[in-house]
Amino acid sequence: MKPLVSYVITRALMFVLSIWGAFTLAFFFFHLIPGDPVSAYLQQLEQQFSQTVDAADAAAMAAEMKARLGIDGSLPEQYWRFLGNVFIRFDLGPSFINFPKPALEHILEKLPWTLWLLGTSTIISWILGFVVGGIIGTFRNNFASQFLINFSLVISQIPSYFTALFALFLFGYWFVLLPTKGAYDPGIEKDLFNPRFLLSVARYAIMPAMAVVMVGVAGTLISTRSLVTTILGDDYLQFAHAKGLRRSHILMRYVLRNAMLPQITGLALSLGFVLNGFYLVEIIFNYPGMGSLFLSAIRLLDYNLILGIVLMSITVVLAATFIIDLFLPLIDPRIKLND
Amino acid sequence: MTDARPLLTIEDMRIHYDSVRGAYKVVDGVDIEVHRNEIFGLAGESGCGKSTLVEGILRLIEPPGHIRSGTALFRPFPEDPERSLDLVQLDYHEMREIRWKHLSYIPQGSMNSLNPVMRIRDQMTDVVMHHEPGGQNEINRNIAAALEMVGLPESLGTLYPHELSGGMKQRVCIAMSMLLQPALVVADEPTTALDVNVQRAVLETIAHLRDQMGAAVVFVSHDLAVHAELVDRMAIMYAGVVMELGTVYEIFDNPQHPYTKRLIHSIPALGGPRERLESIPGMAPSPLAWPEGCRFHPRCPDAVPACSSTTPRTIELDTGRKVTCHLFDPDIDLEQGSA
Repeated sequence: MKPLVSYVITRALMFVLSIWGAFTLAFFFFHLIPGDPVSAYLQQLEQQFSQTVDAADAAAMAAEMKARLGIDGSLPEQYWRFLGNVFIRFDLGPSFINFPKPALEHILEKLPWTLWLLGTSTIISWILGFVVGGIIGTFRNNFASQFLINFSLVISQIPSYFTALFALFLFGYWFVLLPTKGAYDPGIEKDLFNPRFLLSVARYAIMPAMAVVMVGVAGTLISTRSLVTTILGDDYLQFAHAKGLRRSHILMRYVLRNAMLPQITGLALSLGFVLNGFYLVEIIFNYPGMGSLFLSAIRLLDYNLILGIVLMSITVVLAATFIIDLFLPLIDPRIKLND
Repeated sequence: MTDARPLLTIEDMRIHYDSVRGAYKVVDGVDIEVHRNEIFGLAGESGCGKSTLVEGILRLIEPPGHIRSGTALFRPFPEDPERSLDLVQLDYHEMREIRWKHLSYIPQGSMNSLNPVMRIRDQMTDVVMHHEPGGQNEINRNIAAALEMVGLPESLGTLYPHELSGGMKQRVCIAMSMLLQPALVVADEPTTALDVNVQRAVLETIAHLRDQMGAAVVFVSHDLAVHAELVDRMAIMYAGVVMELGTVYEIFDNPQHPYTKRLIHSIPALGGPRERLESIPGMAPSPLAWPEGCRFHPRCPDAVPACSSTTPRTIELDTGRKVTCHLFDPDIDLEQGSA
């Protein structure tokens, strides 16, 4: 088991290094934007209330605000403080939107909604796409397969916010079947152990999930089908047929088993990009997830919160990659642990 | 030979590939008999149809290829040698019953013929469980015995294909082909792409299997030296038809057909003076449009006018040897054709 241990340690080190590198890039990127968020905020206030503030007062106010927000001092000073805050104290600083409330708290409030809605839809669309793609790849000459693949080719090119609008129109306006905004019935108390609340959460998730699943299934289906088509031409498949194995057995153990390996990596990556890909869908359905939070953070120039959301996205993507790195040796025997 | 009925009788086998340019008549009227407990060789240059012929027997032809006509009567039941099955007519399920139990296969591309994500033992168990389900212990014993017979240790069963060398994979395929003690083993170029040492080991293993297990082998190879060493009787194929058929001694000591003569003279002799090898002038014809008359006549130095107009008949010579050439047909007018 020694190679396994060193493999895990190497991967974990890589993970930490990538996190550090990406965080540093994000930090400097935000600090190299000309102007600073506090002065921009003050200018906005001045314009809003058509008042001019004395320059000295404004400077004092700005300095005070910067100190409270934790963005005062020179760039290296700020960077060191940032590293300490993020990696040791897990603190992203206070938010502007809702002042002393920490930005991290905002994020942790919204994160479960996004993970639930988009994580579930991504997994559902992967499973559906993989199974259907495998089947239509195996029986690719009949009419249904031909239809499905062409249909998917079209669907996969439609952006998810468009399918979201279409679903909204169809099920929310034309046939009034499903709720169009929010994540649960506001009349029900928010309680994880209340079945009525859970049912309402599921009902509110159907439409946004459908918008994501439609597009996601099409993508997985197309790539699975092409993988399966390649595998069907491989020597070991002809050999499996010559061995007189049952067709269902060949499909499961020879075709899908081999097609699964690259697709698992694809699943991990799309799970990682859950936080990045579908903000627009959340905004369209007014879903209380990271998408809506990100939008209001940008509107209000909430510097700490914007940076925090970016850091969270980076963490999720890298964590998904890290986890899949740990799992791949278990499912693909060809991965060598010692290099 | 206890019974006169051959194990396999192939008559007028035609396997064509449809294309927009017309039918590729890859195998175009082959008659062959394979007796019990013999090694029957199929030789010929690339594209002569030898691999397609055996794929046809194994029913592994995929569209656009199809068996146009012909019968392949297979008599695998030692207790009832009269009972025959036409391999061409069997449906998928009947064929699946025959496969491996009575008719097994050593594939051409054994490098890639094993499922990359299954252990060797699991792949061997797979095939046993599908045909003769039994206890795990008994199956493991049989697998160990089969691996030992091809000179591989039992411990190899726990490995994955990528952990074996090419020669080992080939021997695993041979061990696999003998697991259920079939009446006929079809070996399609089993020594191609192996270096000569491994080739030798593989050939010895195949001969050994025939001697010990009493199976008949159809052995396909373009390598005449390998045929000379291994087979009992052989057929020389050219352009989708059999040109000459006889025992290996007859063919090599006293070739009759002009094509066979040229083919044998194109191999260098060990020892003796070094001479420039004779080659056969011209290129192999295309299966899309075989030459009229005898398919070899454009390249044949002994051609007479009849060769370009009339398709030669297969003439049986004294010892049961068959030659498809006008020069041996007593009834034909060599100048005019028309038999």
